[in-house]
Amino acid sequence: MDTQPANKSIVEIVRATKIYPPDVVALEDISLSITYGEMVFLTGMSGAGKTTLLKLICGIEHPDKGMVEVTGKDLNRIKGAEIPRLRQQIGMAYQDFKLLPDRTVAQNIAMAMEVSYQNIRTIKKRVIELLQKLRLEHKHNAFAGNLSRGEQQRVTIARAVANSPTLILADEPTGNLDSKTTKLVMELFEQCNISGTTIIIATHDESIYRKSENRVLELHSGQMVQPTDRTILTPENMP
Amino acid sequence: MKFFSTILVQTNRNLQKTWPTQFMTLLTVSLSVLIFSFFFLIYTNMIKAGERLGDDLRLTIYLEEEPVMEMQSQLVRRITNFSPVEEIRFTSRQDAYNRLATQLGDNVDVLDDLDPSFLPPSIEVYPKKNLSNLAQIKRFSEYLATLPGAVKVQYGQEWVERFNYFTKLLQIIVILSGSLLILTTAFMVAYTIRLAVVARQAELEILRLLGATNGYIRTPFLIEGFLQGLLGSTLGLLALFFLFRWIQLRFTGPGILQLIEFTFFSPTIIGIIIAASITLCTGGSFSSMRKFMRI
Repeated sequence: MDTQPANKSIVEIVRATKIYPPDVVALEDISLSITYGEMVFLTGMSGAGKTTLLKLICGIEHPDKGMVEVTGKDLNRIKGAEIPRLRQQIGMAYQDFKLLPDRTVAQNIAMAMEVSYQNIRTIKKRVIELLQKLRLEHKHNAFAGNLSRGEQQRVTIARAVANSPTLILADEPTGNLDSKTTKLVMELFEQCNISGTTIIIATHDESIYRKSENRVLELHSGQMVQPTDRTILTPENMP
Repeated sequence: MKFFSTILVQTNRNLQKTWPTQFMTLLTVSLSVLIFSFFFLIYTNMIKAGERLGDDLRLTIYLEEEPVMEMQSQLVRRITNFSPVEEIRFTSRQDAYNRLATQLGDNVDVLDDLDPSFLPPSIEVYPKKNLSNLAQIKRFSEYLATLPGAVKVQYGQEWVERFNYFTKLLQIIVILSGSLLILTTAFMVAYTIRLAVVARQAELEILRLLGATNGYIRTPFLIEGFLQGLLGSTLGLLALFFLFRWIQLRFTGPGILQLIEFTFFSPTIIGIIIAASITLCTGGSFSSMRKFMRI
């Protein structure tokens, strides 16, 4: 993983607007800056634009107006081999999981590392390590299609983390998890964050960011709500 | 090294997933190669047979009078000016009589009451032994008939023409089966790859999102095309070889096949057929990817 100065932006969004046809405004005039090594929570109600914002950051969608820069690269301008190179640096845990049901759990997780041509032995070791951390070791050879939603969610998180990316984007990572498993997942994200990975978690599960000292950004109807006093928690204002 | 091992793992996975379609395509490629190679083998053997039969081919020009030495050299010059030949042999009336007497053997007495000069003098022309000359033999004979003193030109017109037509027919069949090979292999492989791309659309989408490069996504499909070409042509040629051996063993008795010494393809020709098949299949795979894979 690249070591970057802590105050340098990994994600820079300037006045980005995204409109889905015919005229659904998903995001409107969003400006945002996230520095290397930060852990940010993106909150808001369903349909607030959290997923769209994550899609803009990982380059799946492009803004109709404005600019999105990730690791210093303008996503509107990058092309060719730069796109896969950038995507290899981003680990995304999708809300709809995007797993291959006819592949085993191990194979699904390994895909993220295989695309960057990692050593087979390293891949196997990393997959086992992640499965143990997420208490899924007994599902190593199970087909992803046969897993419960909670298990599938953990697999997609493991895949997002597997390649040790510079930036992890997690879309509702705890939506299908019980409190115990939520804690496991959050521990994994925290470990990654401690080792220098920038993490953006889109969630409406208040329990995971309530006690956090990390920045919380709120979206409402596609617009960024000004940061509240929850952004920086102190022992005095802690609920 | 990591690139190749990863790509090979991915290719193996793809093949396992789509093996029924891949198997059918493999059979089609093999069959196309077998059909083409079968006719091509017959064609090449017929050309060889033509060359061998050409050894015995000669054109006999019957003359009114025996040409004097000066005339003989003039005739040789005119013949060789039209077409290069192996040999020109002059036969006098006496030589022709002696040859006939020899051929009659014990029955030579039938010539007793005949004048030894009753046979006409002639020129025997042995053309160059290749098929193009064989095809032009008619034109050559027509020219020889116009030589001064020539009365009649004789050669095995009938079999030469038949042989010529037969080789032309074979040539057409080889071209047609070659076209069939090109169409079937390229289209079938392209279609199989297209099916594989469609069947694995979800997987390819995820791979793209995970940051798979064009090389990572496309190379396994190209390898699949390469393997189809390599295995398909090898199987087709192996089947032809066994068919060839079977015919050789089965038809060892007297017959038309005894006149022609059948041989299998040389290693060079085998290499060319396999290389062409690989090129076609990999090309089909590549064109299919360009059309149906959005990266």
